[in-house]
Amino acid sequence: MSKQKNITAIIDGKPVQVRKGSTVLDAAQKAGIYIPTLCYLENLKSYGGCRLCVVDIKGIKGFPTACTTPLEAGMEIQTKTPALQRLRGEILELTLSEHPYTCLVCGDKKDCADFMHTTRKASTITGCNFCTSNGDCELQDLIETLELKDVRFPISYRGIPPERNNPFYDLDYNLCILCGRCVRICNEERNSNVLAFIQRGNNTIVGTAFNESQIDADCEFCGACVDVCPTGSISEKMGKWAGLPDRSTETTCTLCSVGCTMNINTRGNRIVNVGPKPGERTNPHQLCIRGKFLSPDIIHHPSRVTAPLIRRNGKWVEVNWDEAIQYTAGKLEAYRGNRFGMICSAQDTLEENYSLQKFSRKVMHSNNVDLYSSYPDKDLVMKIHPFLSSSFHGRTMDINKADTILILGADASVSHPLVENKIRKAFAMGRNILYANPFPTRTSKFANHEINYTAGEEYNFLYTLLAGIAAQFKEAGVVKAAKLCGLTEDDLKPFVEVLAKSRNLRIVVGDDMLRNGTGLDVLRALGNLSYLMGQKGKCNIMFTGYEGNLYAGALAGAHPDILPGFDTVSDAKAIRKWNHKWDAKLSNTSGFSCDEMLATIGKDGISALMIAGDIPMDPKLKKLKFLVQLNMFRTGLSDYADVLLPVTGFPENEGHFLTLDGTIKKLRRALPGPGKSKTIPAIISILAGAMNESGFSSSRTGVIWKEIESSIMLPAHKAINEMQKIQSIKPKSRKGTRDYPIRSNIPYDHFRYRGNSLTALVTDMQTLWKG
Amino acid sequence: MAGSIVSIIGKYTPRDKSNLIAILQNVQKKKGYITPEAVDSIANHLSISRSQIFGVASFYSQFKFYPPGRNSIKICLGTACHVQGGDFLLNALKSEIGISPNETTADGRFDLERVACLGCCALAPVVMVNDAIFSNMSVVKLKEILNQYE
Repeated sequence: MSKQKNITAIIDGKPVQVRKGSTVLDAAQKAGIYIPTLCYLENLKSYGGCRLCVVDIKGIKGFPTACTTPLEAGMEIQTKTPALQRLRGEILELTLSEHPYTCLVCGDKKDCADFMHTTRKASTITGCNFCTSNGDCELQDLIETLELKDVRFPISYRGIPPERNNPFYDLDYNLCILCGRCVRICNEERNSNVLAFIQRGNNTIVGTAFNESQIDADCEFCGACVDVCPTGSISEKMGKWAGLPDRSTETTCTLCSVGCTMNINTRGNRIVNVGPKPGERTNPHQLCIRGKFLSPDIIHHPSRVTAPLIRRNGKWVEVNWDEAIQYTAGKLEAYRGNRFGMICSAQDTLEENYSLQKFSRKVMHSNNVDLYSSYPDKDLVMKIHPFLSSSFHGRTMDINKADTILILGADASVSHPLVENKIRKAFAMGRNILYANPFPTRTSKFANHEINYTAGEEYNFLYTLLAGIAAQFKEAGVVKAAKLCGLTEDDLKPFVEVLAKSRNLRIVVGDDMLRNGTGLDVLRALGNLSYLMGQKGKCNIMFTGYEGNLYAGALAGAHPDILPGFDTVSDAKAIRKWNHKWDAKLSNTSGFSCDEMLATIGKDGISALMIAGDIPMDPKLKKLKFLVQLNMFRTGLSDYADVLLPVTGFPENEGHFLTLDGTIKKLRRALPGPGKSKTIPAIISILAGAMNESGFSSSRTGVIWKEIESSIMLPAHKAINEMQKIQSIKPKSRKGTRDYPIRSNIPYDHFRYRGNSLTALVTDMQTLWKG
Repeated sequence: MAGSIVSIIGKYTPRDKSNLIAILQNVQKKKGYITPEAVDSIANHLSISRSQIFGVASFYSQFKFYPPGRNSIKICLGTACHVQGGDFLLNALKSEIGISPNETTADGRFDLERVACLGCCALAPVVMVNDAIFSNMSVVKLKEILNQYE
């Protein structure tokens, strides 16, 4: 007799078979029987707070709640007796007595909704017509379902001042019915623990310690509470009064390499919100502040460039596309060859980066293609390739399945919030969290053991850790390395002990590990670590790059030495293959990396640059003969640009995105780009046409995807030689401090899209960082 | 200041949530009320959020979040005192010392708390100042009594 046995019960005279352990509500939902609920939410623990799901079970006294009663074999359940409906109506009346209900039960509500729209936008919500959630409110639905005509209790308006001092959302606890969904999702699902029920009895409200603002309570503004609120208590500022969405598009967020699935709800050509599909409350793919709040903010940003701009006599002049393209093509004609450089963004889709690098290699005959956020060491990406292609087994969302999580040099709380969310969840589940970083971050709170090694000594730290695992701590080289990274044997002991017991290890590697002078050595040490741990059980490595997905950019060919699909420029066979494929004559000279391009401006190096997105302003760029910027905004860099071509953002694009766990995800167009903006592949296609080059006619993303799909598929997890043996590694002293950090990134700098600082663009973000 | 809180908290196992109420009680005993700093330290020690701690602490009326005054006034609004005009007394008291329940006067002379029975209903309405119970209270008597406390 297995525990998984199915059991049968009778609900409303209908036999229902469900798995043992299901609740009465689960069973009813499975059978398609509707039981009204308010506090119940999929994925959250049953709470039994709203009492609306009461049912009648034969042989059980009273009316138990369906969401908390486990189903037993042979139960006879009634869900819709007149007594139950009356009871539910009364419960709802009591619930409503603390919610401005006049509009809800008003006989004229239909006429009012049709003719009295001018009464909206009131500062205090005293009825549905003033409420931002009008039409998307679960109380309204329930009143219809339960046919409630009147509420017999006087309104008890709590008179709590609405809180409008938080970025991104407003709070009005006068509308709160205390269903506890926000509190539960904040604590159970997000493990942020910002919201709690405070006070007791009549005075209970949802709140924070000492009623401080959400910012002071360390809210990460993931917006999960906004999504689940059944009333207008928590409402998004951005979508207020935008009306109800008429379309919902499922696409992929490209703001970091986790690549979360997101629903963009639009009304006409405007984003209403990013969240659950209309009519739903759960967003199974939880987002973070960037996906939920920042993506609509940047898409509808008032300063978006909507028409091509050309600089004439030092002034920006708006022109039509024909003129812009003719001008750009004419200018670029003069810089074919190695004087041209292309800087791409790691947050672009595979199609976008593929088009850009193809343009550079085929039309401009230049291998100077790189991502702005590429690693200082060109070979690093090439060396990461075998790692990723052999350890892409673990999915981001499965992190908490590992028994031990080792986080190395990563502050996922800012770079990859969803990864940190899973780490927190794993911690709550009792997994071992080992955290090694030069300084404590929010992740430290969720770590069982933490090591703070000296910044810049990432390699020596790994070396010492490996020696500890191999019980060779006493050797002279190890002692030296330990001294360099500022650790003692005792510091490492807890790590070594936990790792020794681990049979399913997930290693999360931050960019800080690789962005230093010893990146390649670190990678070798990681190889050894993964080999050692892999001997005993499972070991997966996840690389969490800063801006978007570097690896995906290189996979699409946005790398000076790497052609799409990790073919190399120095490989004559690969050149022949791509010459044939593209009908081109590719150069086999290795290109400049991004840093080299910027360093050689003005000398006999780069004379013309095409930059997708934004890069920090550098006076050296003034020496460029020609600079084309493809961007959504006019930025500091635009001061040096000759042409600024308006491009679409990711919710306005179709395409494919590679996530950090190796899944290729689709982007779907949720809304058209503003004004005359075009997608990058479309611009490249007409630009190449103007320069008499063919093979770029593919302005539709689908065609480009077909072209690259075959060549960029990841090598199917093939084992790589390097991973199968221990490589010899030695401790290293750093030469000076010059090479660390190569390009220092302060945390909020992570909040970038194509190099554009989201903090600078979105005022609410500034409030958040100042707070 | 901070040191004494640390010495209270330090006696309990880190990350063991079950000690929360005991810690809060000891902090209150030592400090007279639950300070925001204490909540911070407890949050760090037990690895639970400040909001959760505040949620638990604000549930129980035994925990205070404001510094106590030199004299504590407890005014009873239980059934008998309510019927005997406890509300009038409370209003008079509020205007006399200028604070609402759960507050402390700016000069720290009084703090005010409303309670729901002091167990001597026959003597209603009742006001308690520090450890002394004053029975059969009236607004006139109230002023005289307050003058006895500095």
